[in-house]
Amino acid sequence: MLLLDYQNVLIQSVLTERFSGAPPASIDQTVSDFDGVTFHISTPETKTKIVVSINIRCFKELVQYGAEQVLQREYDQYVIPPEIGYDFSILVDLENLPAEKEERDELIKKISLMKRNAMAAPFEHAYEEYYKLKEAASQYTSEEAPQGVREGGDVMAIHYREEEAIYVKASHDRVTVIFSTVFREETDRIFGKVFIQEFVDARRRAIQNAPQVLFRNDPPLELQGVPGVQTSTSGEVGYVTFVLFPRHLTPQRMPDVISHIQTFRDYFHYHIKASKAYIHSRMRRRTADFLQVLRRARPENEEKERKTASGRTFKVQG
Amino acid sequence: MSQSLRPYLKCVRSSVTAALCLANFASQTSERHNVPEVEAQSSPEVLLNPLVIARNENERVLIEPSVNSVRISIKIKQADEIENILVHKFTRFLTQRAEAFFILRRKPVKGYDISFLITNFHTEEMLKHKLVDFIIQFMEEVDKEISEMKLFLNARARFVAESFLTPFD
Repeated sequence: MLLLDYQNVLIQSVLTERFSGAPPASIDQTVSDFDGVTFHISTPETKTKIVVSINIRCFKELVQYGAEQVLQREYDQYVIPPEIGYDFSILVDLENLPAEKEERDELIKKISLMKRNAMAAPFEHAYEEYYKLKEAASQYTSEEAPQGVREGGDVMAIHYREEEAIYVKASHDRVTVIFSTVFREETDRIFGKVFIQEFVDARRRAIQNAPQVLFRNDPPLELQGVPGVQTSTSGEVGYVTFVLFPRHLTPQRMPDVISHIQTFRDYFHYHIKASKAYIHSRMRRRTADFLQVLRRARPENEEKERKTASGRTFKVQG
Repeated sequence: MSQSLRPYLKCVRSSVTAALCLANFASQTSERHNVPEVEAQSSPEVLLNPLVIARNENERVLIEPSVNSVRISIKIKQADEIENILVHKFTRFLTQRAEAFFILRRKPVKGYDISFLITNFHTEEMLKHKLVDFIIQFMEEVDKEISEMKLFLNARARFVAESFLTPFD
């Protein structure tokens, strides 16, 4: 339970139940995911036709970076025109499922990864750009490369939350992923700083091949001239930069790396909250200990002679 | 226990014991009232000289005695902003439960992290040397607790960061 799952577990369990051959039932469920993403699972026409729709804040931006192609590739024959109020919909007919159990499980997995797939578009785009730039750069030495090749592609911004964004930028030898983070509360800010510091140090200490992690409070140079980048006031805003090196950028590793880096923010916040909860329970326990000590200061009630109603007393024999 | 902590606690212990010499004393300014004089500050002749015991610039204890009450304020060590936030959280946690602690003051004296107010009614009900024990044990354990929490936080952060980055390897 240390790392977060990439798929939406609720969608997975609903579909697993439906696909298992249980009698068809009507469903109308709204499912929430991280970053304000909502899903809608319903059976609008008949009980056997399940529609799954997704609503993402930044879908317009994702479309610019090719989200539609990615989703089309993943869901192909299941895609239908989007439901009203949602950005993308698919329809699965229970009477028309793949015959093999493995294939059905595969389909469930694919549908529960819908958010991941939609968000993956800019990353895949960056990968492709990186391959192109690498190709182009191999023809020049580093000094004489034209400006465009040396500088790399454009910065792709995904405003996936109200105040936070992911920026992705490809160059000929790396892909840079920048998360902007906002901490409203002082405690979160300081805990976040401790955690980030360990991310930065982890590479130096233990995992040499991990992506380089950098943290700063003012926008990194990559983001110069990008509209909508917040400049830090009172250290609330921070920028976490992941530098993916060629060893992370092979086509074989692409799906895993994209899935994994998407979970960064949720993972990071999840562990800050978990630490706060632990510290809270620890303080509770310590407070109980202190109370125990203080209670000792009260003198114990002296044992009084107990009498029955008729006036007889108890005596210890012997 | 470190070398400088022992004499510090010993000094606090004897000073608090000496200060806890309290008697019932009705208010001189308003009839039929009986208030802790150190809080009321209405008659200077019943207040005694306040005393500061400092281990270093970050850790000190202020003892303010009076005829029927003693106020003891503690400044807990805070080396960096993590300790600062942990101390703040912990003292707030305690003061919210002040009712159960009898002698805990809801609000610390300015410049200190936590304050206790012991009146003659407390010393009548409870054993004086045990109250002193409580103050001393509190001072000992609060430092320990804060540094343990800080260590835990760092250890967890390290572990979390490494396990996130391992799949990239």
